[in-house]
Amino acid sequence: MARFGWTLVVGAAVMAAGIGVASLRVNPYLYFAGYVILQYVVIATAWNILGGYGGYVNFGTPAFFAMGAYTSVFLILSIRAPLPVQILAGGLVAALLGLGIGYLTLRLRGVFFSIATLALSVVLQTVITNWEYVGGSRGLSVIRPSGPPFGNYVVFLFTVMVGLAVVAVIVARFIERSWIGRGLAALRDNEEAAECMGVPTLRLKLFATTVSGFLLGVAGAPFPYYVTFIEPNSAFALDYAVNALAMPMIGGTTSWVGPVIGAVLLGTAQQLATVTISSEMNLFIVGVVLVAFVVLAPEGILGLVRRLRGR
Amino acid sequence: MRHWVVIGTVVAIFALAGAGSVVGQAANPIKIGFGMALTGGLSANGKPALLAMQIWKDNVNKKGGLLGRPVELIFYDDQTNPATVPGIYSKLLDVDKADLVVSGYGTNLIAPLMPMAMERKLTVIGIFGLANNEKYKYPNYFQISPTGPDPATSTATGFFELAAKQTPRPQTVALVGADAEYPQTAMVGARELVKRLGFKTVYDKTYPPSTVDYTPIVRAIKATNPDIVFIASYPPDSVGMLRASHEVGLQPKIMGGGMVGLQFTTVMTSMGPMLNGIVNYDYWVPEPTMMFPGIQDFFKEYQPRAAKEGVDTLGYYLPPYAYAAMQVLGQAVEATKGLDQQKIADYIRATEFSTIVGKIKFGKNGEWAKGRTLMVQYQKVQGNDVEQFRGPGKKPVLYPDELTSGKIVYPYAAALK
Repeated sequence: MARFGWTLVVGAAVMAAGIGVASLRVNPYLYFAGYVILQYVVIATAWNILGGYGGYVNFGTPAFFAMGAYTSVFLILSIRAPLPVQILAGGLVAALLGLGIGYLTLRLRGVFFSIATLALSVVLQTVITNWEYVGGSRGLSVIRPSGPPFGNYVVFLFTVMVGLAVVAVIVARFIERSWIGRGLAALRDNEEAAECMGVPTLRLKLFATTVSGFLLGVAGAPFPYYVTFIEPNSAFALDYAVNALAMPMIGGTTSWVGPVIGAVLLGTAQQLATVTISSEMNLFIVGVVLVAFVVLAPEGILGLVRRLRGR
Repeated sequence: MRHWVVIGTVVAIFALAGAGSVVGQAANPIKIGFGMALTGGLSANGKPALLAMQIWKDNVNKKGGLLGRPVELIFYDDQTNPATVPGIYSKLLDVDKADLVVSGYGTNLIAPLMPMAMERKLTVIGIFGLANNEKYKYPNYFQISPTGPDPATSTATGFFELAAKQTPRPQTVALVGADAEYPQTAMVGARELVKRLGFKTVYDKTYPPSTVDYTPIVRAIKATNPDIVFIASYPPDSVGMLRASHEVGLQPKIMGGGMVGLQFTTVMTSMGPMLNGIVNYDYWVPEPTMMFPGIQDFFKEYQPRAAKEGVDTLGYYLPPYAYAAMQVLGQAVEATKGLDQQKIADYIRATEFSTIVGKIKFGKNGEWAKGRTLMVQYQKVQGNDVEQFRGPGKKPVLYPDELTSGKIVYPYAAALK
């Protein structure tokens, strides 16, 4: 428990630092770029709870992310809900989706689970495309509330994302260090054996899909206010699925810090590439780095560090 | 050893990424920034638009620049992804210190720029967005596409008015379009026109943009035996619908309307004679009535460069308007003798501009005061040779009246012969 206390202290310190950065009023572009990178920290961390700890590879990240985003849109349109309500609701809707998927795919393992999650994304995108109220296929311009805290809405969103990233990482760390994490690791290594040893595999799997879904929805909830225009193609973009998988792989999937390292490195590289060279280079970077890691360091940067220390 | 390879790769990528930002810093240039779809779904039009803007920049710089300063374009690839737009424009304004901005290409890429433009009081010229300013009513936004004060109905107006004038007058209408942003808007406009002109709708359905086989859709339309078929589609489905209607033998009295893509060189050459008879919207065609001052010089420069760069070789659809957008901005800067956003916007709102696409006066919502969406009909297209499209006659203008350069072949079946 003392250890967990330290985690909270460090988390609070990071949040305070985030607010400090926000009040510094440095170059506004850094808040835009920082928001996207932090968003990926949440996404990668959330994906890793199911994919890294439990070994269930989820290709449906865009579905959960977009659920968060479209829940926000719905709440903005219907009751002009404030951002915290949107985030909470987005997370809950995505968590329910995760729980549902967990139940539906109980018997699916490995590649079949992955295909089912990919299909989920396609189905939900079709639903949203045909739902006129939230913009349908035409998309919808979202108007931010006036008089934002911190004087500027993007700076405010950046601070919110710092908070969400800290919460996501604390949750991931807590799961990893507790009996749940050990259970998930057993599930990852051999599900039958784990079941025989008395690990409640079903409950753990449902827990992981729900928590992972919740955090992915939370990551998507502020998206409409960030981009100010939402349409199905960008909310359900395959980029989220690829990055959610690539970032933990690069950082290392077995520990909470792996996805954070991966998201910061890859996210920064992508942001730099988008505004310097071209996006062809952007995709190229993901490809090259991923191939390099899969071939040379299959356990990610954490694995590399461990190997270096071991010598 | 192995890990050094990885570390080396990562460092090299970062170094490469950083290198791009220090390229091209001329002496105190006027910087015009924008994001453009250079990859992704809209890149086939984004690249020609960029080329047209670069030609404008070269021409201006040859004449000594604007306000005696050289012009520099700073642009980033928005990947046809709206999510990249806020970051890109923030980079342009806050890091690159762009003096002026224009929008990227397409409705969805202009939409995320609007709130930022309003927040920072920017003057924005939009490049081919449909009804972006409906919600915001931002006075300093101007749209270069000639869709006019009521953009949603602009494609349908000419098509249905033309149909209503034919004898025997067609009666029944089939409306079909993709489940996507532009087709949906165009369909809304079409329904309005159908009602206004007293036609009877016998079919009104959408299809998913990912559809591969269009024959079932076309068969369903044929079963209702409509006189008019209005199609609102994006390039891949325009091609698919056209092929399918030839396979099935769909021959209403008049067909087309809002098919995006049929204007592009590659689509025209690949479809060839299948285009014959289709009445479709367009923005510029090489007809005598469309030869505004300067347009031929533009194509003289554009076409060889486009061939070299492998982008739309004729460039009749979007490029002249992208060039015109820059002309408007340039003329406003020269006239106001400065880079004050508000003064530039006030000037643009009050002035009629002479551009290579004719005279432009902006009106309500920053759209053209008077719309000029053309209706053209593909006639006597033979084979797949690109050269035939360079001269007049293959796409005579049927609408609006003041730009008419040919007569409609009616009914559709007659044009197929």
